[in-house]
Amino acid sequence: MGGLIKLSNFAKLSGYAEMFGQGLAITVMLSIGTVVVGALLGIVLALMRMSDIRPLRFLGLDKEGHLRGPGVLTTLSKFNPLSFLATAYVEILRSTPVIVQIAVIYYGIFGVIDLPTFSLFGITKFHRFFPGVVALGMNSGAYLCEIIRSGIQSIDGGQSEAARSLGLNQNQTLRFIILPQAIRNILPAIANEFVVIIKESAVTYTIGVQDIMAVVQSVKGATYLIMEPLLVATALYFCLCFPTSKIIAHFERRMSRGNKR
Amino acid sequence: MATNDNILIQVSGLKKHYNKGAIKALDGVNIDIRRGEVVVVIGPSGSGKSTFLRSLNLMEEPTGGAIIFNGVDITKKKIRNEQGKVVKLNIDEHRQKMGMVFQHFNLFPHMTILDNMTLAPIQVKGMKKEDAEKLALSLLERVGLADRANAYPIQLSGGQKQRVAIVRALCMEPEVMLFDEPTSALDPEMVGEVLHVMQQLAEEGMTMVVVTHEMGFAREVASRVIFMDAGNILVDTDPKTFFGNPENPRLQDFLSKVL
Repeated sequence: MGGLIKLSNFAKLSGYAEMFGQGLAITVMLSIGTVVVGALLGIVLALMRMSDIRPLRFLGLDKEGHLRGPGVLTTLSKFNPLSFLATAYVEILRSTPVIVQIAVIYYGIFGVIDLPTFSLFGITKFHRFFPGVVALGMNSGAYLCEIIRSGIQSIDGGQSEAARSLGLNQNQTLRFIILPQAIRNILPAIANEFVVIIKESAVTYTIGVQDIMAVVQSVKGATYLIMEPLLVATALYFCLCFPTSKIIAHFERRMSRGNKR
Repeated sequence: MATNDNILIQVSGLKKHYNKGAIKALDGVNIDIRRGEVVVVIGPSGSGKSTFLRSLNLMEEPTGGAIIFNGVDITKKKIRNEQGKVVKLNIDEHRQKMGMVFQHFNLFPHMTILDNMTLAPIQVKGMKKEDAEKLALSLLERVGLADRANAYPIQLSGGQKQRVAIVRALCMEPEVMLFDEPTSALDPEMVGEVLHVMQQLAEEGMTMVVVTHEMGFAREVASRVIFMDAGNILVDTDPKTFFGNPENPRLQDFLSKVL
C-alpha cells in the first residue's frame, strides 16, 4: 500500500463513481438532517437557557415581599431547572469528542430501541442513518444553542427598551427588532457550524453509515489504493463546504445594509 | 387641588429600593404633572432622576407607590375595568401614549428612518402603511429631515439621529413625551438643533418631562423645574425662583458648581 499517486490509478476508480455518488448523497442528507435537528434543538436549548422560570423564587422574598440579602435562600430562589438542564447538556456535549458521542448513542440508546431496518432511498440503511443524524444533531444543537443565545444577548438592551416604549409587546419586539439583528450577527458563526457539520458527518462511517468516508474504506479494501480514493473524498468534501460558506456569506452581505454608510 | 382634571400623571410615594432597601434609588417621590406642562428634572448623578423618568412608563419597575396615568394606576399588575371586573393591566396600551427619547437614541439600525417611524403605528395601532408613511414624512419635514427618510440610522449624525428619535416617538401621537438626557451623548455643536426641536414641541403644548443638564433649556422652556437628590424631590418650583432665588442649600451648592 502507499507509494506514489499515479494518474492511471484514478482510472481504476471510475468503476466506483456510482458508489462515490451515493456516498455524496448520503453525506448531504446526513448534513441536512443534522442541521434541522441541531437548529430545532439549539433554539429550544437557547430558550431554556434564557428562561426565567424559578419555582423557588418565593424563598428569596421576605414577609413584606422585598428581596432578601445574600444567603442560602437567595441562592435557592435563583435556581432555574430548565436553564440548569440546558447548561449541563451543552457543557457535557461540548466537552466530549463527537466520535465518542456517536458510539454512545448508537450502541447505548439505539441498542435498546429497535429501529425498522428498511433502506432509505435505496442507498442507505435507515437503522444506521437515523442514529447518525440524531447523534450529530444532538452535538451541533449544543453549539448552535450557544451561538443563538450569544446572538440574542449581544443586542443592546436599549433596542428592546425603545421598542417597548413605543408600545410594542414582547413578541413584536423579538420579531421585528431583536431577531433580525441577532440573526445578522450570528450568520458567520452559523455558516461555520454548517461547514463543521458537513465535515464531522465523516465520523458516522464508524457506525456503518455509507457516507463518503465509508465509500473510501470499501474502495480501499477492493482496490488496495488509499491515496487516490482519499483525494476524491477530499475534493467532494471541499465542493460541499466551500460553496456552503460562500452562499451564507452572500446572505450576510445582503442583510448588512444598515451597517454601511 | 383645584385643577384636578388637568392632571395627566399623578405620582405618589414612588419607591425603588434595591437590596432590601439598602439602596434607595427613589424614596417616596410625589409629583403631579398637568397637561401642557414642561417639567425639567435636574440633579447630580445618582440622584434618581433617570430612575424617576424611567419609572413613569415602567421601564424601571418601582417597588412601591403609585403612578396614576389617565386615571389608571399603571404600577398595579391587575386593575378593575369599567364593568368592575378584575383584568390584567396591559402596560403596552399605556406605553404607546408615552413617547420616550433616550440618551443613546436607540434607533433600530436594521431599518430605514421611515421604517423606524412607521413600525409602531402600523404594528401597534394598526394604521395603514400609506397613512403611517404620510404622517412620518410630515413629521420629518418639520424637523428638516424629509430627505433622509430612506437612509439608515448609521448614515446620520448624532443630532439628526436624536431628531429622528423624537419624531419616531411623536408618530405614535403620545400624550406625554419623556426625555432621558437627550443631549448628553451629542457633540456640543449638535445640542442646539435637538433643543430647538424640543422647544418647538413645548410651544405646541406637548406635555414633557425632561431629565437634562442643559440649564439654559430649563430656564427658558420649563414651566416647572425639579431638583432631585438621593431619591427625593427637594425643590419643585418655577424656573425664575429656581435659578434666581434658590433657598435649598443643597440646590445652592449644586447650582454654584454647574452654572
